[in-house]
Amino acid sequence: MYNHLIVSMADAILRCTRLGLTYSDHGRSVSALNDVSFGVRRGEFVSLVGPSGCGKTTILHVLAGLLAPTAGTVQVLDEMPGQPHAASLVFQENSLFPWMTILENAAFGLEMRKVGKVQRERRASATLERFGLADRARDYPHQFSAGMKQRVAVIRAFLGEAPLLLMDEPFGALDYHTRMRAQHELLDLCESERKTVVFVTHDIDEALLLSDRILLLSASPGTVVGEYSVAGNRRRSRMFKRDEQVFELKRRIFASLRLTADFARCSCAL
Amino acid sequence: MKAILLLARYGWLVVLLLVCWEALSRFHLLDPLFFPPPSALFVTLGSLTISGEAGRQVARTLERTATGFGVGAAFGVAASAVLALSVTLRRAFQPLVSALYSTPRLTLLPMVMLLLGVNDISRILLVAFGTALMMIIQIADAIRAINKDYLDMATNYGAGSAMVILKVYLPACLPQIFTALRLAFGRALVLTISVELLSCNDGLGSMIWNSWETFSIEKLYVSIALAGALGLLFQWLFSEAERRLVPWKGQTS
Repeated sequence: MYNHLIVSMADAILRCTRLGLTYSDHGRSVSALNDVSFGVRRGEFVSLVGPSGCGKTTILHVLAGLLAPTAGTVQVLDEMPGQPHAASLVFQENSLFPWMTILENAAFGLEMRKVGKVQRERRASATLERFGLADRARDYPHQFSAGMKQRVAVIRAFLGEAPLLLMDEPFGALDYHTRMRAQHELLDLCESERKTVVFVTHDIDEALLLSDRILLLSASPGTVVGEYSVAGNRRRSRMFKRDEQVFELKRRIFASLRLTADFARCSCAL
Repeated sequence: MKAILLLARYGWLVVLLLVCWEALSRFHLLDPLFFPPPSALFVTLGSLTISGEAGRQVARTLERTATGFGVGAAFGVAASAVLALSVTLRRAFQPLVSALYSTPRLTLLPMVMLLLGVNDISRILLVAFGTALMMIIQIADAIRAINKDYLDMATNYGAGSAMVILKVYLPACLPQIFTALRLAFGRALVLTISVELLSCNDGLGSMIWNSWETFSIEKLYVSIALAGALGLLFQWLFSEAERRLVPWKGQTS
């Protein structure tokens, strides 16, 4: 059931081909990424999992256009060709502008796409309302908890018109209960908005819960060493983790991590 | 009620000191000739207010401070924007700004007067110069301290350079711009009074110096207290404006 599959590049919305990134650190050449190739289908949820320092964040920054790769190519095949910034990035922390209200933050993506004030605020309000944040829409981020800030950052990414969302451990710093809630909301949004998501995490349970497919990366230089498909399109049911097949998959990923990466560092990260 | 609470919280030490001073002076533990009791000072303040002299001198000082501060702050913000945009200019001006910042502004007064004559233009220009220097240094710091995440985030959502300046640089620097304005106003007031002390016939500074030369001790204390009260008033006004205009900064004491 969890057969190993390579994305046929024909129906990909995102296509990375032999990405490499080297930078020089005090005259020494350091290779951060090496020969990273993968594709993501439209509407798919793909997680990048691996030990810390394997270049997960670097990959996202390359995909977001914030870093230029030193080798290989990134193609984001947008429905609206020629439109820049087809990929929205959700940051690990500092993910909201402190000088904007929650509503202004949530509507920022729409604002940058020249959606009028009334319309963008109506749309942002509606989504905030859906997740019980409407009554605090006029507050500033410093009045919010870390979890609420990350939830708003995710909402902002979904409200923007970018078809591809890149998430850099958005729930990494949250406590267990807040993280569960944020994950639920993310699933909810994925089901209603049909976006394509590339999600970086070091939490295998989180990856199993959310993803259609998991890519396993090894450290220094970062490269893809494994690919696992997670069956079932009713992601919610996986919340209960009773599924033996999911458990089996988890066991395989752990085993693979042990083989491919520095285990001491992995067990810390996991 | 709120005013009383504020007075109790911030004013008790001042009141205590005044009471001690009053007692020491009354019982001749301090020479009342040099340290007249505060009650006598209040009487002097009253008569100076009624005669209109206090108001006139305060108005002159405020006029010079505000003009110099206004011109200097506007120039400082504009110059900071130019320096933020050009690395070449920034590098060229950096040693100059650092050197001038550590020179007491008052020492430049003779030079300015040689250039523009012994008049109010020179005095106000010196105040403006001091203010601009303060603004430039503070804003440069603020720009350096901007978290790169916010710039990346704006760029990633498709903000062009005009939008990045408007939506990130400007609001990110605003709290520090306010702090700079508040501090610069304090410095402008100090500088104005110092200049008046040296080379003026009116304003609080000259009032202080004249009182000293004519040994009008009570007037001397009153003019010093007026200078202090002005400083206090404007620090409070700037903090209040900041609290209203920079709501995201959170509550700070």
